[in-house]
Amino acid sequence: MIETPAYQVQTDFFEGPLDLLLHLIRKNKLNINEIRLSEITSEYLSYLQGKMGINPSRESDFLTTAATLIYIKSRSLLPKPENLSEESPEKQLLHTLIEYEKIQKISKMLQDMEYTERLLWRRLELNENFTNREYTLQEVSAFQLAELFFAIVKKKENEQFLYVSSKNYSIASKQAEITGLLKENGFLDFSAYVKTLDSIEEILVSFFTLLEMIKRHLLIALQESLFGTISLYPNAPGEPSN
Amino acid sequence: MTNEQIALIEAILFVSKDPLEPGRIMEFLQVTDAEEFEKILQTMEKEHFLDRPERGLMLKRSGGGLQLVTKPELHDPLKDFFTIKQATKLTLASLETLSIVAYRQPTTLAEISDMRGVNSTGPVKNLLQKKLIRITGRKKVPGLPALYATTQEFLIYFGLNDMSELPSLEELTELFEEKEQPSLFK
Repeated sequence: MIETPAYQVQTDFFEGPLDLLLHLIRKNKLNINEIRLSEITSEYLSYLQGKMGINPSRESDFLTTAATLIYIKSRSLLPKPENLSEESPEKQLLHTLIEYEKIQKISKMLQDMEYTERLLWRRLELNENFTNREYTLQEVSAFQLAELFFAIVKKKENEQFLYVSSKNYSIASKQAEITGLLKENGFLDFSAYVKTLDSIEEILVSFFTLLEMIKRHLLIALQESLFGTISLYPNAPGEPSN
Repeated sequence: MTNEQIALIEAILFVSKDPLEPGRIMEFLQVTDAEEFEKILQTMEKEHFLDRPERGLMLKRSGGGLQLVTKPELHDPLKDFFTIKQATKLTLASLETLSIVAYRQPTTLAEISDMRGVNSTGPVKNLLQKKLIRITGRKKVPGLPALYATTQEFLIYFGLNDMSELPSLEELTELFEEKEQPSLFK
């Protein structure tokens, strides 16, 4: 859509894209009365005839802008009552423009205030920075997941395993188990889940299964904070990734 | 007021993590004269902290409360000492959204998006999470959209004592028009 350049107006009084024309008129740099919209329209129609097929995006852009121009012009041609009504589109546009500039001014002011305030440190500021009190969930990379995994395995190494008999774990059966757990609880706490497993072998297979599932976008790993626990959520289609 | 009481005020402020209402401290110390208390605070502000370059703290009034904070010129060395890379700042989109809420409150998401010209769901959500804005109620129009307003955290975040410290819309309009007039002919 963006690749195709917008239609360029080419008349005696103006040359360039149509939105620029509208912009200039809104800014009072050009008088709408000096512009012959019929000329622009017929130019455009002959331009379209020379084109193979239509580009809906470009054409609708032209229509919107042209319609606004026609509206502004028709208004300017109509006899006006003495007191201009606030509802005229130019005024409204100007109003929105001024409002928006005001917003930007306030934003700038707030930004300056934010900057000065940032220079002052408060008690527990450090804690907030380090533990990220806001609990914004961040998507976790496979690498972070692996780090957490190795931390857990290290912990497990010191534990005594009751090794009864070797069981065979397959990724397929693990995936079915994890999917089931996710369906049941909505999410899965990675550390808590690993703790329920019996052997290093099972942990390894589970971990590979998780990686595989993340790779296939079946689930999504989220971490509440740096070094925090990692939660796994089913990757529901259409849900915004945080 | 005794020296002991003054020392206690300083100690209370040191321990508290949030800005403290002066009224609460006054009540605790059984001070009834607000003017006297204010004078003590001002003396403390000046003589204990500001006038003494060897001290690293200062008294700050934000969100209607009192708080001890570090002096601004110490920001950089503190950052180095605690090896903090980059403090999170508000994005431009969030700032724009916040300025609309601050000046139009209570306001709806539709109004915010309309004024900014873009959908503002993201920034609003972000500001809600940061507790800089909150939902104060619902507008009595079809769909009952949530109404947003700024919070106490907003005041603290921007170092304001109360909302009256923000320039009024009239003042802003003047500022704006002074600047805008000549540029029309540039």
